[in-house]
Amino acid sequence: MRQICLLFLVITGCSASSEGGRTIQDDLGRTVEVPHSIERVVPLAPNITELLFASGAGSKVVGVSAYDDFPPAVDSLPQYSVIPMDFEAIVALDVDLVFASEQVNNPKDANTFAAVGIPVYFIAVNTLEDLTRAMRDLGELLGTSEAAHKRATQLEDSLAQLAVLTANLPEKPDVLFLVETSTLYAFGQGSYIHDIIDIAGGHSITKTQSIRFPILTDEFVLASNPDVIVGSFGPGFEKAKLLAHHPAWDILSAIVSDQVFGLDPSILRPGPRLVAGSWELARVLHPEAGTNP
Amino acid sequence: MNRWTTALLLLALFSVMVSVSMGREVSFTEALSVLWHHVTFGYGAVPDPIADRIVWHLRLPRAVLALIVGGGLGIIGAAMQTLVRNPLAEPYILGISSGATAGASLFYLGFLPPLISKALSMPIAAFAGGLCAILIVYSVAGSRGHLSVTRLLLAGVAVASLMGAIASFITLSSPDPDKLRSVLFWLLGSLHLATWTTLIWPAIAVSIGLVVLLVLARPLDGMLTGDESAHSLGVPVESVKRILIVLASLVTGSIVAASGAIGFVGLIVPHAVRSFTGVTHRRVLPASFIAGAIFLLWADLAARALLPGAQLPVGIVTALCGVPFFLILLRQNRHGFG
Repeated sequence: MRQICLLFLVITGCSASSEGGRTIQDDLGRTVEVPHSIERVVPLAPNITELLFASGAGSKVVGVSAYDDFPPAVDSLPQYSVIPMDFEAIVALDVDLVFASEQVNNPKDANTFAAVGIPVYFIAVNTLEDLTRAMRDLGELLGTSEAAHKRATQLEDSLAQLAVLTANLPEKPDVLFLVETSTLYAFGQGSYIHDIIDIAGGHSITKTQSIRFPILTDEFVLASNPDVIVGSFGPGFEKAKLLAHHPAWDILSAIVSDQVFGLDPSILRPGPRLVAGSWELARVLHPEAGTNP
Repeated sequence: MNRWTTALLLLALFSVMVSVSMGREVSFTEALSVLWHHVTFGYGAVPDPIADRIVWHLRLPRAVLALIVGGGLGIIGAAMQTLVRNPLAEPYILGISSGATAGASLFYLGFLPPLISKALSMPIAAFAGGLCAILIVYSVAGSRGHLSVTRLLLAGVAVASLMGAIASFITLSSPDPDKLRSVLFWLLGSLHLATWTTLIWPAIAVSIGLVVLLVLARPLDGMLTGDESAHSLGVPVESVKRILIVLASLVTGSIVAASGAIGFVGLIVPHAVRSFTGVTHRRVLPASFIAGAIFLLWADLAARALLPGAQLPVGIVTALCGVPFFLILLRQNRHGFG
């Protein structure tokens, strides 16, 4: 149903406008007027950069944020600050369209861009489906449909393969995903994190938290007693670092059975490498299930 | 010990019980049985280990930190008000808390080298920051032995802004965004990082503060009458003032290092207390300690109950109560005790 709605939006949303541009709708439902041919674009978040490159539009990217580090091609591009937003740097790059992330960027920044005549397109990736959908949208918008479609299909195939591996596992561990070791920032309702935990063969304990980015209490974690704790702490993480901040957690199943893992934060961005991140998570949760390629 | 102090002590005990047994994850009776088990050194049924961790290792240290921080801010507020002979003084308003925050964040983000031990370096950095702030404010406000209240408050606001700007600058220039998020959270003042070990330094500093202030109770009473008459009563006014300034920075610094900058406790509490106990410090100080502890416990309970999923910093609650109170005091325009 959702796909049909989106298709409907894309079809009805694309109408020719009087100034030789076209009017489209972005992921926030905003109406964006873009020129017919879009040659120079900039992303405002690292995951957006990765989505643009994966959609075959890498050659149109003329600058990246100071946080960008992937793909390697970004190292030779001009950099600008996005928090706070360096509007002048973007204007100086003479861009046709700016791509913003719904998770990272302030929607009000678009008003400032509008004032200098630069359209902003917001991309929202809140599910694994959103990921490949966003890539196909980008391909269509930037005239690289074929490359975008091909890469999106590859990623979907890889995810389908993983889903088969984890579908019939006898046990799905309760997983707590954390962003940081001391203050317990987590992902609540409507985050792609639950999708990757799901497809990797786990059950996310913060899936039903009503706040989008809740700060968990130690009590909640103790009462939920997760089997596995995974964080964007980087590889080689040791549970002692977690225990140093939360000494009361020493009796948690995850701690007792040594199931605390750090993953490389950059593969957990809502970008194309999230598929690799899902596989990595599956290897951590189910090393026995043939998740090693 | 008069009856007000006794009543306050009982209320404090009751507040701790409520604080420890309130929450979704562990029931009231379960919490009480955990407490009973520990208080009687293992008598009675062995509690569920998860409930035990929640009550004994999370809720109780948090409640005890609230007692220490609230009590510490209460007595330092009372002492500051005597120091400047004005009811509007308080560590937060006079910039000590902001200075301590700036010092602590300098250390936390790695701009200052760790001295002695890591656990002690943060309170020391906070102490140094707080001392800098109050020395600036105090030297701007005073001239030829006279302290201008207007200049004191304005200098406090200005120095608090300056220190806040320094702390924000350090925070934003930190290369580590995860640390940055922690610091931002902690700048607002919160008790959520309490463990038995983080309690040690604030407990020591606040105890020192309470003992020294009680020893100084008589000279402090003398100082309420004015520098000259205090001097004629044999109070070494300048020495007492110096001790008060260092003590306020020490206690506030160790509190800020443990819980961030929680404002207005030191303002509200001594006021409320004086209306029951009168102005003599022998009574005001212990009562301010217990009342501050109770106030912060309930403020923390409110913060926990208002937004259970978001860990609302308790500093927001104390500011919501404290700022209207401050404005009313300012409006009444009574620059003295009476």
